[in-house]
Amino acid sequence: MTETEEKTGPPVTLIDPIDMTKLDPKFRNDISSMPNGEELSACFACSTCTAACPIANQWDYMPHQLIRMILLGMRDEVLSSKEIWECLTCFQCQERCPQKVRVTDIFFDCKNLAAEEGHVPENVLALGKTLVDKGQLYEVINDWEREDLDLEPEVPGLSIEGIQSILKSTRTGKLVEDGE
Amino acid sequence: MPVYSLYMGCSVPANYPNYEAAMFKVAEALGMNLNYLEDVACCGSPNLRSIDTFGWLLVNARTIAIAEKSGHDIVTPCNGCFGSLKDVLHHLTHHKDDLKKINVELKKMGLEFKGSINVRHIIEAMYTDIGIEEIKKRVTKPLDGVGIAIHYGCHLLRPLDVTEFRPEILQEMVDATGATVIDYPLWKQCCGATVLPVNEQLAIRLARDKLKSMKDAGAVFITVVCPACGNQLDLQQLGLKDSYGEVYDLPVLLYPQILALAMGMNEEEIGLSMNRVPADPILDHLSG
Ligand code: SF4
Ligand code: SF4
Repeated sequence: MTETEEKTGPPVTLIDPIDMTKLDPKFRNDISSMPNGEELSACFACSTCTAACPIANQWDYMPHQLIRMILLGMRDEVLSSKEIWECLTCFQCQERCPQKVRVTDIFFDCKNLAAEEGHVPENVLALGKTLVDKGQLYEVINDWEREDLDLEPEVPGLSIEGIQSILKSTRTGKLVEDGE
Repeated sequence: MPVYSLYMGCSVPANYPNYEAAMFKVAEALGMNLNYLEDVACCGSPNLRSIDTFGWLLVNARTIAIAEKSGHDIVTPCNGCFGSLKDVLHHLTHHKDDLKKINVELKKMGLEFKGSINVRHIIEAMYTDIGIEEIKKRVTKPLDGVGIAIHYGCHLLRPLDVTEFRPEILQEMVDATGATVIDYPLWKQCCGATVLPVNEQLAIRLARDKLKSMKDAGAVFITVVCPACGNQLDLQQLGLKDSYGEVYDLPVLLYPQILALAMGMNEEEIGLSMNRVPADPILDHLSG
């Protein structure tokens, strides 16, 4: 190897450097002031959450990185990530965290913040629309199957209006309206 | 006779009436009085919590407040409904600010959330209130030790501080039928159902990993206590032939179906023919 090898471009690092000017220092407070965020700052980056996650190996941002990104203030990257929506909500990360960080619950809160900014995957929004339009996620189609088993043909006790009237006045209603 | 408020949700009645029927048959035999809750709404699923936590809290707080009027605990056969209702109960019991906001809204509907009742999975109610010894007494056709893998479902077990459901409960319930519980490495892993709307390939891979882990460990059947998990593990087996070239032939039974058979009930009563991977081979494993 010669010593005259020319160096061009920024130095090689293991990960891309973070652009500090784009950080939002308020983001960590937004999350930690929500009911599930009390333990957020106790995270000591051990990555146990990632080791417990069954799908982290195919993510660009793994659970411990997402938590670190929240602490650093990488608001846009977290809220526009596909990872928060692909999270299985299996709570394996949260169960194993030695610092009691409510990792899965925090990702739920991130999804709410993303939704507030209008970022919701199409098929998830479609489920919201089903709830507003039909008042339930699944409808009985084969009522004869129920009758064969001596069950009432309709879903017993289900009030469709119960959920419809509530969701029309909360964020779901707004998201569904904006999506139309 | 213990009395309960039964919350069905929308998935079991629409997709798994066989689960509903078997649950009723077994509960009746065990002397449990299940009353359908009236005028309650769909729980919304974790998807509703993702986009609209306040709406999700309010919908489920409303259901709990309705049930509080009768004073009986809520029981449900669906892990999704259980997870939502139990999580909302836990949340509102621990976060007084949110409770205040929710009660302002509930008051407009003539309701109030007090947190005076519990939310329980039907299996835990059978286990705790009836007890394994009583259940065993009613088993007249025990299974012959056939290997059954339990898929608990994420929202039944976690987070434990919310769900308060220990895996041993379901293990002992399966033991009581005479079957052998098969340990397998991926017992805690998600079935993949929740990610179906955003990444179907990932959902299929998760179901496949789970089925493979069960099969490799020697399971002959699978038991579940949730319509979404049941649907995922049952239905995906049909597609895995094409996508992975793998055949699992692992019948998926809702737990009350297994218990009902072991109690001597017949396959029609529990809608065994509705299970997609043919589940009738389990009849060959009944003795007595
Ligand atoms: S397991 Fe807990 S403490 Fe460790 S990196 Fe994850 S969130 Fe942080
Ligand atoms: S809850 Fe989400 S992030 Fe946590 S382990 Fe499960 S899939 Fe991974």
